[in-house]
Amino acid sequence: MKSALIWDPALTGYFFHPDHPFNPKRLELTVSLIEAMGLVDGGDHRVVPPRAATDAELLRVHSPEYVDAVKRMSVRCAAGEAWEWGLGTDDTPVFHGMHEITSLVVGGTIRAAELVMGGEVTRAFNVCGGLHHAHRDRASGFCIYSDLAAAISWIRETHGARVLYIDYDAHHGDGVQGIFYDDPNVLTLSLHESGRYLFPGTGFVDELGDGEGFGYSLNLPLEAFTEDESWLDLYRKLLPEVAEAFRPDVIVLQSGCDGHTLDPLTHLRATTRLYEETTRITCEVADRVCGGRVVATGGGGYSVWRVVPRAWTLVWAALSGQEAPDAIPFGWLSRWQGESPDLLPERLRDPEGAFDPVPRRDEIEATNRRTLESLRRQALPLLRGWGLGF
Amino acid sequence: MLVKNRMTRDPVAVSPDHTLAAAQQLTQEHRIRHLPVVSGGELVGILSDRDIRSASPSTVATDEPGRAEFLGRTSVAEVMTREVISAGATDTVEDAARVLCRHRIGALPVVDAANRLLGILTETDVLHAFVEMLGASNASTRLEVELRDRPGELARAVRIVGEDLRLNIGSVLVPPMRERGNKTAILHVATIDPREAIAALEAAGYRVGWPSLEADLRRPAEGPAR
Ligand SMILES: [Zn+2]
Repeated sequence: MKSALIWDPALTGYFFHPDHPFNPKRLELTVSLIEAMGLVDGGDHRVVPPRAATDAELLRVHSPEYVDAVKRMSVRCAAGEAWEWGLGTDDTPVFHGMHEITSLVVGGTIRAAELVMGGEVTRAFNVCGGLHHAHRDRASGFCIYSDLAAAISWIRETHGARVLYIDYDAHHGDGVQGIFYDDPNVLTLSLHESGRYLFPGTGFVDELGDGEGFGYSLNLPLEAFTEDESWLDLYRKLLPEVAEAFRPDVIVLQSGCDGHTLDPLTHLRATTRLYEETTRITCEVADRVCGGRVVATGGGGYSVWRVVPRAWTLVWAALSGQEAPDAIPFGWLSRWQGESPDLLPERLRDPEGAFDPVPRRDEIEATNRRTLESLRRQALPLLRGWGLGF
Repeated sequence: MLVKNRMTRDPVAVSPDHTLAAAQQLTQEHRIRHLPVVSGGELVGILSDRDIRSASPSTVATDEPGRAEFLGRTSVAEVMTREVISAGATDTVEDAARVLCRHRIGALPVVDAANRLLGILTETDVLHAFVEMLGASNASTRLEVELRDRPGELARAVRIVGEDLRLNIGSVLVPPMRERGNKTAILHVATIDPREAIAALEAAGYRVGWPSLEADLRRPAEGPAR
């Protein structure tokens, strides 16, 4: 099986400022770790550079007014204008050249989709993509353009394929859900920490889609402090049912790793095991229902040094079907330890028992199971009935 | 938020001369529980599905055909509530909610000065309005801030978040105290990263909960990655 890692050092230009949590250092760390572990080889598992998205590709999912505004502010920011478009905030500040660099991020995910849909590779991973909070006409939560929506609509337009979008970033994938809310050919499935406390405050079970797309937006909000076991249990139960009812032609996967227990922006308690396992489960389901085709991206992940490079190296290994040894090469550790504020872990996987168990585990698991049941009760009849053309 | 913005306009209504059978059919067809009764353009009563169900002839005809016959010959006027509690279009939804609670009723017909029927506001409409008021309409993080019960506490917290840090506050709720002492303000703040806001509030002496101040929802201590 062939796979492609979309990368070019130019992508680190998606950079707001040195104190901003969405820090491109995490990309450099991830790619250098993948390389150091020998998980790209120039043969079956190669690095492919992105290309810039065209205006037409952006305009499939963003309003012309918004793209114009981003272009204008990319050159010179008129005070006061940015706010209207969700820009110029602490979360998503304006920066010089943001239109061009975000177009390259978007083009990276489209490139990944081109390779997969064209049959050149079975899986592709755009590690710098995953901007799932960008809306049709508004930036939000570090995201300017939606690379995910642009790639999905490229797939729809060019191949007429049915797309299953899966999002296991700790935040609700509100941007992507919103853009395809009434589209029955794109099923969005987001697992995230409940919006009760966490940004963006949406992603509840009763958000099921609209019009023709009713039943094609699925949300599984998890309790704060949910751990691997409960999360994996729900995912193992839900994903095969959804995939078999919907019969996608390709899976687009946002694999944000900010649900890790060390992540400072969320309250989930995952370990690296979650990212390895969920990716593996997703690939198994893809093998069964859609010829193995998976277009994956990164996403959130704010424990830049201790979590992101390890989590996404595991995601890449699972996607590309390679065994990753557990020991992190000494060369990589010594290259980065000096810069890291924390002691870098020497193992790729968090060891069993690395983190204290959560005191209310039983209660959290029971609530999560009830949420899953509620989602299945509301969504699966719709999906099964419509998916089979009754 | 005003009643006229949340009510159903031109609601399904009946005349006092309608039979209960006809009224019952309307409630079933439209899946509603309350029918305003209108005569000569004016609101003269209200009839609930419960009024219909509990209406019964003085004689003992309780079997199905007997009941159908009863509903077919009894008029709405004989069963409806004549002392209608209604609302005005420019009343606030909060007022309407209070009236619904106090009188333990499920719906308020909305009338103008001449007692003409304009709409109906049900408990479900009120619930929807309150759900909207509780949440923030834009993407935000929810923070709980403990306030001591003294003037300026809320203002100072809001100033730190909204003015010093220039974060957009989508909504502020301060539920009443269950017992005397501190209150909790619930702030919806438009950011994915509330760390700076939390640090600034804590530096100013506030206790901040994210996800919550409730003991059950405090962040457990973290073991380090070994
Ligand atoms: Zn996230």
